[in-house]
Amino acid sequence: MNDHRSVSIVMIEDDEGHARLIEKNIRRAGILNDISHFTDGTTALQYLFEDQNGPALNGPALVLLDLNLPDMSGTDILTKIKAEGSPLKRTPVVVLTTTDDKVEIQRCYDLGCNVYITKPVNYESFAQAIRQLGLFLSVIQVPEVEG
Amino acid sequence: MSGVILKKLGAPEGLARRFLVTCMIVGFAALALAAITAAWVTSQTAEHTQRVNHTYEVEVTIGQLQALVEQSETARRGYILTGMQAYLDNRQSILVHIDPRLNRLAGLTADNADQRVRIGELRQRIAAIRARQETTIALAQAGRRADAATVFAAETSARRLRAIRDLFAAMNADEHRLLVQRDAAQQKSLTTFYLVMIVAGVLVLFVAAASVATVMRYTRDLGAARDRLQLLNADLEGAVAERTADLTRANEEIQRFAYIVSHDLRSPLVNVMGFTAELDAARVSLADLVDRAAERAPDIVTDEARLAATEDLPEAIGFIRSSTQKMDRLINAILRLSREGRRTLAPEPIDLAAMTQGISDSLRHTADDRGAAIVVETPMPSLVSDRVAIEQIVSNLIENAVKYLAPGRPGRIVVRARADGPRRIIEVADNGRGIAANDHDRVFDLFRRSGVQDQQGEGIGLAHVRALAYRLGGTIDLESTLGQGSTFRVTLPATLSETGPST
Repeated sequence: MNDHRSVSIVMIEDDEGHARLIEKNIRRAGILNDISHFTDGTTALQYLFEDQNGPALNGPALVLLDLNLPDMSGTDILTKIKAEGSPLKRTPVVVLTTTDDKVEIQRCYDLGCNVYITKPVNYESFAQAIRQLGLFLSVIQVPEVEG
Repeated sequence: MSGVILKKLGAPEGLARRFLVTCMIVGFAALALAAITAAWVTSQTAEHTQRVNHTYEVEVTIGQLQALVEQSETARRGYILTGMQAYLDNRQSILVHIDPRLNRLAGLTADNADQRVRIGELRQRIAAIRARQETTIALAQAGRRADAATVFAAETSARRLRAIRDLFAAMNADEHRLLVQRDAAQQKSLTTFYLVMIVAGVLVLFVAAASVATVMRYTRDLGAARDRLQLLNADLEGAVAERTADLTRANEEIQRFAYIVSHDLRSPLVNVMGFTAELDAARVSLADLVDRAAERAPDIVTDEARLAATEDLPEAIGFIRSSTQKMDRLINAILRLSREGRRTLAPEPIDLAAMTQGISDSLRHTADDRGAAIVVETPMPSLVSDRVAIEQIVSNLIENAVKYLAPGRPGRIVVRARADGPRRIIEVADNGRGIAANDHDRVFDLFRRSGVQDQQGEGIGLAHVRALAYRLGGTIDLESTLGQGSTFRVTLPATLSETGPST
């Protein structure tokens, strides 16, 4: 990523265990960026758009998004981020979820999701996938947030 | 429901029929009565006419006889007065008619005692008058016309004639009285006839009216019943459609439920498996620590700590792993089944022989390894169905046959198909280990298997095959003898309609 310090990772994941495993494996891939973790959609949206330290007001970010959230669907958050006129329109969103439904995957890409990853149940595969994601994150360019 | 209707219809039907039959019987009885009466009256009238004729004949005969008697007297008087032979001749010609007329009258009135007495008297009086006439005529012929006139004056012939006239009058009166009597009787029978006719007519009219009313009411009832039946029929169709919709909804609900449950079960499983892996990694470093401690300071390493690090923890983690892996496979199986159930079927013409040959070729390597031969019997009938579903059915069945061979016997798997009217029957027969009779139903259940558990598998294949067969509007059954082999028979509709069995 552009600058290891400036780009923060926002992880929206309702399952604490998953969040922990994802974080562990991202770290193992050598990614040292800040990771802000949210377990529900409402707080995550509030942070994304309104918080002083949030990506809308404070620098570039990358979103790791789970689709199954207690208070709303991940696609709702995806829609809000990618909406026309949203300050986070160009923010990369990686959907990382257990759903491997074809229709759901298509829908997410239609809504503007940048990467869709199905969490493998098998941990070896899971850990490998996350580490590869981490490697991927380390090389991609993230655009600056507009105004 | 229909039984109630029949019952409701039944009572009026029986009643109406009985009423109609009664009406017809009464009507026919009235008609028969009228006919009998008419016949009776006709015969009465004929008889009466005969009697009237008879009376007139009697009266005519009496008139003729009276005229003859008067004429004979007139002829005698003429002869006595004039002495002319013509009068005598005239009398003679009159006299010959008198007796036959008398006899005829006697014959006509033979049945009447009064008349018979009068005729007897008549005969005597006529004979008496004739005797007198002959006496005077004889005197006149002898040239004693004056004597004859004297005798004529002395005799009481006028009185005698009057008596005869009275007799005739009495006879006439008697006949007339009889005629009046018969007229009255005739009138009476006619009146009776009219009465009977009126009664019969009224009866027939009433019966006809009642019958028409009953038939109309019955027809109306029938119409109403038919309408109600139609309504019920429509309701029935509606009920069937509703039930079908309910079932479809329920099925969709189950599919969705299976999907959500299996899907949501994966999330915690990721944690269990993930942290088990983390735990194992941690254990490895702990085991290293224990090893190093055992080397440098054996006194601090207890047997318990060593066993925990080298045996207990790996064993526990192993069990957790294998169990979670199994659970993962089961969840995936449910997920796959539910996904299959929600897949839209796309019917297309299928070359069954080519498809089966293709499946057989792809399994040939495995089959060769296990010492089994797959025989595809051609030709096979054509089929319009969902290609993926048919492929899965056939390949699952062949795979199973290859998998469950009888130990120590080279496997021979025969795939054949035939047409049976609008159905297509696909058979996969093997000489494998077979399935015990009490497991024939069970093997089609999800996660259930039969026989020795020496092969990999979760007990999903046949459940999947059966679900697919049902979805395609078909069935699957099994013939098998333990140790002899099995034959799986899938029966499918030759053409799967687009809107056909959708769930």
